[in-house]
Amino acid sequence: MAILEGRNLRKTYRLSKKNTVEALKGVEISIEAGEMVAIMGPSGSGKSTLMHLLGLLHSPDPNHGPAPELYLGGQDVAGLSDNDRTRIRARRMGFVFQDFNLVPTLTALENVLLACEYAGIKGKAARDAALEALGLVGLADRAGHKPAELSGGEQQRVAIARALVNKPEIILADEPTGNLDSDRSAEVLALLRQFNREHGQTIVLVTHDSEVGDACDRVIKMRDGRIRDNGLRAATPVMATEPVAVPA
Amino acid sequence: MRLLRDLGRRKLRSTLTISGIAIGIMALVVFGSMANKMNALIGGGSKYYADKDIVSVGSMYSGNIQPLSLADVDKVAHVDGVAAATPSIEMMLDDTSATTMGTPEMIGGVVPGGDKGLESFKMDIAQGRKLVPGDTGHITVLGSDLARKLDAKVGGTVKLRKVDFTVVGILAPTLTAPDKEAMVPLDAAQELFVASLPPLIQSKINAADVATSITVYPAKGVSPETIKTRLEATLGSSYTVMDGKDFDEMLGSISVIFSLVLTGVAGLSLLVGGLSTINTMAMAVAERTREIGIKRAIGASRWRIRREVVIESAAIGLIAGLIGLAIGAVMTTMFNDLGRASGNVLFDLTLGTAITALAFATGLGAIAGFVPAWGASRLDPVTALRYE
Repeated sequence: MAILEGRNLRKTYRLSKKNTVEALKGVEISIEAGEMVAIMGPSGSGKSTLMHLLGLLHSPDPNHGPAPELYLGGQDVAGLSDNDRTRIRARRMGFVFQDFNLVPTLTALENVLLACEYAGIKGKAARDAALEALGLVGLADRAGHKPAELSGGEQQRVAIARALVNKPEIILADEPTGNLDSDRSAEVLALLRQFNREHGQTIVLVTHDSEVGDACDRVIKMRDGRIRDNGLRAATPVMATEPVAVPA
Repeated sequence: MRLLRDLGRRKLRSTLTISGIAIGIMALVVFGSMANKMNALIGGGSKYYADKDIVSVGSMYSGNIQPLSLADVDKVAHVDGVAAATPSIEMMLDDTSATTMGTPEMIGGVVPGGDKGLESFKMDIAQGRKLVPGDTGHITVLGSDLARKLDAKVGGTVKLRKVDFTVVGILAPTLTAPDKEAMVPLDAAQELFVASLPPLIQSKINAADVATSITVYPAKGVSPETIKTRLEATLGSSYTVMDGKDFDEMLGSISVIFSLVLTGVAGLSLLVGGLSTINTMAMAVAERTREIGIKRAIGASRWRIRREVVIESAAIGLIAGLIGLAIGAVMTTMFNDLGRASGNVLFDLTLGTAITALAFATGLGAIAGFVPAWGASRLDPVTALRYE
């Protein structure tokens, strides 16, 4: 069953009065439950923009083309208000960023508890869930430490715990290993794979790192605001000299 | 609490902002306490004058006292509707006594029992006794502030206008004008009064026949306004009759001035403190742009972000209010202690004033946070996330 489905996704950003950027020119995408998918492409390919749309951080443009469609778990989320999208993000999604992005004045536990607060999990249940999440990433004993007291790898793992604590339908990760050395990268990647394999957690990653791409079930390649290759192969291989974009 | 940690991020900046508001609140508390005292005095005065009329010649309060004679008292007493009329002499304790804020120190010569029991303003005696019918000569009952200033004891002697008087009683504090008064029998006051007049006038006056005002008590069911009209008709235009309304008008303007000063102080501290807080919160929001972006991205609603900012801002106000209140309380206590010896207790810090100051400070903080909060909530999460 498709957890995330989108069609006719476009996004243009206005940088100034005369300067607009057509980041996404019309994208069709479908993510199945339990998949671990990487989105790769050069700078300016629109992969981050696609991520933002999938994460409901921005809404797809309704104009300059056929009406955009976006479904999360079967629910139409294309035209929702900011408040509704925020609610869905809080309760049904998890995010991991390149820069870890933990709140510096809060401890690891409190950072994870933030996600609970936003998801409407309170009191003891929240505390238990947060400690469990930290345990899953191997940092239960560092719960009382602030980000400044944690290494980069540990911070990212706290971020992953934060992304998991509300048991989201999908985790979106934007360059999760971008700021880590190769050993820490491997650690983080292994963690994500573990959650995917053992718990069936659907994960969508944006990455530059081909090693990350190799670890995923599928790699979507983007260029110039469009998907060039959605990584699905036809049942019978097509004898061609060039890779062919196969419709989903 | 997380809140205190956020405030502690920039300790110097938080301290400066809080200090700014605290100073304003302290001023509010001190002036408010003074106004409380003023209003108590005025309220006391208003109550006192509400149920009677005062007859004098010229204006009692301009100090331009022309004496009445006891024959006038008789005339007044026979006016229809008058239950009692009693003469009194009011004079300054000394001629330089126009100093203090509040009421000046006075000598009050009265006929004890002259009110025939109709005086509703009750004064309690703390030590010794009150003046009673038949009292005469150089004895006095002192108000609480004056007693303290003159270091008086019952049975001891004080000098009133250089004349020795035996203290027979000291009143309990009333928080109004009588605290600064020395009450003496009418004949003693007449003596002092005449002695204070220029020699040329002295020779024309019979000391035993003199009064500076007549206090008139209406009979039951007759209003002071009615009596005022009748008195004016009987006595003619060279006499002044004042009732409660006249006194309220006179005292009211003092009250208005104080309210204006208080409002001015409140307004200024609002302006200064509020602007300072808006600035501080705007800077805090700008510095936490990235953090706000993260929170929004992981699911914090706009409302939640706004609430965080406003609560932090209100906390700044509350802390500043508490500090300002504490300092103000120390100051009013100190001023009162310093002034008590000379009979000047000018500050009354009521619970109402304290609560108003705290509520004002907190409200000011909260409102100052509204604009930065709005800006914070409108940040696009994606751009905010990348902010350096």
